Amino acid sequence: MRVLVVEDDVLVGDAVRQALLAAGFAADLVGSAEAARTALMAESFDLAVLDIGLPRESGMRLLQGLRSRGKTLPVLMLTARDGVSDRVTALDLGADDYVTKPFDVQELVARCRALIRRAHAVTSAHVVFGDLQVDLAHREVFVAGDAVNVTQREWAILECLVLNAGRVVSKEKLMSAIADWSTDLTPNAVEQYVSRLRAKLGAVAKIRVVRGMGYRLDEGAED
Amino acid sequence: MKAPKTNRTSIRRQLLLTLFLPVAAVLVAGTVSDYVTAVRPLTNAYDQALLDSALVIAANVRADKDGHLRLALAPDALDVLRADSRDRIYFRVTSADGSFVAGDADLPDLDPSYENPAQMDSLYHGTPIWLVGYKTFAGDSGLTVTMGETTNKRARTRTRILTTAIATDLVILGVILVLLLVGVNLSLRPLDEVEEQIARRSARDLTPLSAERAPVEIQGVVRALNRLFNLVADNAQRQRQFLDNAAHQLRTPLAGIQAQLELLSADEENQIRRERLVRTLEGARRLGNTAHQLLTLARAEESAASNWTFERVDLASLVESVVADSLSAAEQASIDLGAEITPAWVNGVGWLVAEALRSLVNNAIAHTPARGTVTVACGARDGSAYLEVVDNGIGIPAGERERVLERFYRASNARGTGSGLGLAIAKEVAELHGGELRIAAGRDGVGTAVKITLPLETHSRGMTSSDTDS
Repeated sequence: MRVLVVEDDVLVGDAVRQALLAAGFAADLVGSAEAARTALMAESFDLAVLDIGLPRESGMRLLQGLRSRGKTLPVLMLTARDGVSDRVTALDLGADDYVTKPFDVQELVARCRALIRRAHAVTSAHVVFGDLQVDLAHREVFVAGDAVNVTQREWAILECLVLNAGRVVSKEKLMSAIADWSTDLTPNAVEQYVSRLRAKLGAVAKIRVVRGMGYRLDEGAED
Repeated sequence: MKAPKTNRTSIRRQLLLTLFLPVAAVLVAGTVSDYVTAVRPLTNAYDQALLDSALVIAANVRADKDGHLRLALAPDALDVLRADSRDRIYFRVTSADGSFVAGDADLPDLDPSYENPAQMDSLYHGTPIWLVGYKTFAGDSGLTVTMGETTNKRARTRTRILTTAIATDLVILGVILVLLLVGVNLSLRPLDEVEEQIARRSARDLTPLSAERAPVEIQGVVRALNRLFNLVADNAQRQRQFLDNAAHQLRTPLAGIQAQLELLSADEENQIRRERLVRTLEGARRLGNTAHQLLTLARAEESAASNWTFERVDLASLVESVVADSLSAAEQASIDLGAEITPAWVNGVGWLVAEALRSLVNNAIAHTPARGTVTVACGARDGSAYLEVVDNGIGIPAGERERVLERFYRASNARGTGSGLGLAIAKEVAELHGGELRIAAGRDGVGTAVKITLPLETHSRGMTSSDTDS
């Protein structure tokens, strides 16, 4: 897993690079949009961590250029500004996540890992959460290497949670994921399927209830 | 910008008073003079008629050989002289020595010595009476004829003239008043239009007023106002630029220091040095948090003073994102963080409302022991929207609930290393949006409930109020 860190502030850039290296990623640091473009053209990266406030050419412009040239690699934006307008603009321009300075390095690393995994889920259809492995293409679930049988509805819920790992998924969303097979579903039905799924997968699948909002599949450490 | 209507100088009132009062005074003086000039010839005519009768009587007084006077008029002729449709007419003839000759003996005396003929008011048998006295001679003997007449027709005539004059003048006054009102209001309409322009705009609108339709007299005022608006807008712009720069210049090195310390403390194998690094890291985090909150507070103040455009804010998704962001912190503290979401929309600066809510949630998590609950709620109730954070933690002593809203004030039982700015930010943001913040005890008197009420977004008022039936 290779990450390109684009950050003009050496103190920040170095720390991010070191943290990514310590977490087992390969990481390169460049200090300008021009250098980033050159690096991205020459090499292949799985993720870019991009500072918005770059000198001369801003991170926003760089991102815009990347997306307009069809580069699909996941991008995490760093910003020193407050307000959501930057966040909205960045996400509109095609950023995948957004972190405000100052940040916890471990949190940043976790988000990088999640972004890479999500990108992989789309391309390779095979996702790993520690001892839980999910093969989205073949609809197979493994706990510590052993295959687990799940029903169609349980699978639909698991798939929905996996594709949104780390995010809160509302009961309504899960309901619509399984609605294809049934006419009258209640939120209670969703609760039942989730608890059956938890029973089958055991402690390996960290499916958490977020009271009043829905469920979240924790990403967990990947080591 | 509504000026109280009482006890202030009003151009309209001033104009009306200075124009209307003199006109009214002139009209009153005119009425008096009309009355006097109309009444005098009429009374003169009545006096003349009385005097004519006196002359007729005097001409018929004869003196006999002894010098005794007597009236040589037949009773029929006297009746003719006394005849009048409205008034009673009296007369008396006296000789020069004052002795009674003929007529009504008890008629009041009138001495026409200084003026001949003479007139005066008097009372006769309790009735007002007008006397005319005439002094003349019958042969060699002097005599005085006194005529008396009740005042019915004089009073009647005076009243009629007065009524007519007053009625006419009242009509004229009324017409003038109407003309004045119309004229003054027409002239002042441009002023009203400028006032309306100012009243209609929102407090954050700093675009210039249109000076085209303003009359010459207030062009200067409008221009001065526009200069002021420009100045305020410029200042706001500069302030925003300053905050952008300050945010960047503060956050970037703080991020570097924090990240480096985090790495160092994770790598350090020497226990003592690691603890030192962790404490330093905590200090850096606190500093970063305080800088962030100070910037947010400055932003909120700046938003209140300038023309930030309010946008539609969906409280439901705002609560969802704030709760989602705080889940890991809640999990670390073993706190059950949840939400109670019903739809509500407000007009506002979305990220500031989110920052306010984030501050409240952070406070709640910091002041709730492990295995406690923190619930974030939103919805619409009683015509306004609300955001509420309820915990079952240590609570805020009732006596300190006002003071904790002050900047940097921390409750006596506050825990952790908060900056004491969170509630101040939430309050500032609530007030910026025309809402308010209230602190109460949590459910069943345990913990804290902080509630921000905000005006509902106007377009969705009907919709959201019907959505909430609880």
